[in-house]
Amino acid sequence: MTTYHTGGLTEISIIEVNELTKVFNNEIRAVDGISFTVEEGEILGFLGPNGAGKTTTLNMLATLLRPTSGTAALDGHDIITEPDAVRRSIGYVFQDPTLDLELTGRENLDFHGRIYGLKRDVRRQRITEMSELVQLADRADDLVKTYSGGMKRRLEIARGLLHHPKILFLDEPTLGLDPQTRRSIWGHIQRLNQEKSITIILTTHYTEEADYLCDRILIIDFGKIVSLDTPDKLKARLEGDIVSLALKDPTKIVEIRPLLEEKDWVRRINVVASSNSHATMSQMMQMMRGMSGSAGMGGMMPGMNSGSVGGSGRMPKRVQRMLAQGIGSEDDQHVLDGGSESLNLLVDDGGHRIPEIVKLADASGVVLESVELHKPTLDDVFLSVTGRNIRDERGSFIETVRRHRIVQQARGRRDVG
Amino acid sequence: MVQPLSGQAIYVVLLRELKRYWRAKARIISSMAQSFFFLAIFGLGIGGFVGGFGGISYLSYLAPGIIGMGLLFGSVFSGVSVIFDRQFGFMKEMLVAPVSRTSIVLGKVFGGAMTASIQGIILMTVAGLMGAFSPTLTLIVGAIAAIGVMILITAGFVGLGVAIGSVLTDFHAFQLLVTFVMWPLFMLSGVFFPIEVAPVPLQVAMLGDPLFYGVELLRWCLLGAGTSLLGPFGWLIALGVLVGFTAAMVVIGTYLFSRAQV
Repeated sequence: MTTYHTGGLTEISIIEVNELTKVFNNEIRAVDGISFTVEEGEILGFLGPNGAGKTTTLNMLATLLRPTSGTAALDGHDIITEPDAVRRSIGYVFQDPTLDLELTGRENLDFHGRIYGLKRDVRRQRITEMSELVQLADRADDLVKTYSGGMKRRLEIARGLLHHPKILFLDEPTLGLDPQTRRSIWGHIQRLNQEKSITIILTTHYTEEADYLCDRILIIDFGKIVSLDTPDKLKARLEGDIVSLALKDPTKIVEIRPLLEEKDWVRRINVVASSNSHATMSQMMQMMRGMSGSAGMGGMMPGMNSGSVGGSGRMPKRVQRMLAQGIGSEDDQHVLDGGSESLNLLVDDGGHRIPEIVKLADASGVVLESVELHKPTLDDVFLSVTGRNIRDERGSFIETVRRHRIVQQARGRRDVG
Repeated sequence: MVQPLSGQAIYVVLLRELKRYWRAKARIISSMAQSFFFLAIFGLGIGGFVGGFGGISYLSYLAPGIIGMGLLFGSVFSGVSVIFDRQFGFMKEMLVAPVSRTSIVLGKVFGGAMTASIQGIILMTVAGLMGAFSPTLTLIVGAIAAIGVMILITAGFVGLGVAIGSVLTDFHAFQLLVTFVMWPLFMLSGVFFPIEVAPVPLQVAMLGDPLFYGVELLRWCLLGAGTSLLGPFGWLIALGVLVGFTAAMVVIGTYLFSRAQV
């Protein structure tokens, strides 16, 4: 059955974005004139590294941020002139947890229903329906602070759907969750999309998530759309195979690289580092936690009303400097952990070229540790269109701390459920 | 664009404040204990040293000020907590909902005013049990009036807190807020000494502190006596100033909050 739409029979896309731009502090073009459309019932993924402009775009579409220029229409309503109508049409599951941990799951849902003006019996019925949908019915009356990361995420998704939005925004829906929970969240998202034909925009920097879930993928980098297509077509753009070479001594990359570049069957060469900045971040956070004892707010705070004043309140200069050097640097492809660099080659007919590559390495005295051959994945697509590996952490210091916080919270109580 | 006020949204924010307040038992107990220490140690200690003023004991003189302190800190922090809510929490959820920012602020003001006033009532009871107020029939009327005054005071200071919270964007400024706003407001409010004994520049500063009028009003309600500096209709002047302050703070808080972005 087809439902009638605002536009009747004419083809109006449910989301139309036109030259949307956001400039922060008059200089940082976080989102730079992007335009695209989304059809009803589609799952569109924003794929990009941290700080690429994904969340900023989402916040503008959700009327939380006013665009510097350009506009967008959601379900026929303009985000600038009709923000209220837009807000009614959307549900938003934020990247950072926005549940009230001191309330129960049911109370969180009930508050949401009230804010959206749902009547009492409608609220009651939908809370039951939604908590069953995300399999939380038996835990609905427990305080959210006792939930596991996956349960919190499911509750947030249930909440985002309570008012029956036409469009659902999911900002990094599985950030920090373990693979099993991630799978189950994916299942929920797919079911929602199919059963309720909700249009979904999700942001992610997990390529496999984008590949698995999305009808189309919009790769965004430095605020611009780099490409927009179906996962299959994106991958098909990279004709050939990927051959990954791990060198025993990574410094020898400079020696073998020019030799490979001479060959006409090598289409592209990228140096890939498996970056490990999350571990670095964990160490930093531990250091900071040790120091935060002295960062009090003065004893005089009767009635302080928020529990969120955590250990990240103050930061010794020493740590800030280390963080600035260690994580913010543009060059982190090479500095993070030198031992695991490898060369990725895009090669015509890779299987037949491997012997030749090995021979080449032997002749130039480079010892290969391993050679891998695989079909191009979205990771490779990303690398080829942006020139960078998607897993390289980038972005401001605050952003890094914030992500760490989210990951910590998501992992926090896995033992409970 | 003007959005209508939403009763449900106001109610949700208010209810949330109340539930959170009630579930944080440690906070209730610690703030009660803190005020008790002030009353017991300062009231009895300094009281033994200076005696009393104008026919009332120092403990009695101190009690309304200590209540005022509880109201001040409780309500400003409740207001300022919009920073944390906005950056990390629940408030973001409300900001994408089709409700006006004004409804959110009003809910915050009512909720904060209610929780801080509940705290004030507890303090009033503690002070009463310590013998700060003479138990007469007029005290009952006075206590009821005092509750009204508490709501007025706290509503104003939650408004101030929301205004500050909308402008501040990081935690570092929090210490500055406590040192440069909260402490002066508290110490200039005539908690420890009557305005008459202060030198003129200090008197001027005290007259500029909205909490001073709040504490004076509480003193009028609970002790039947206030400073002679404001004249025989001192309570009316104090009430007028307080109403003006509260109205201004709620308006300013609402304005700044609606301008703030995530």
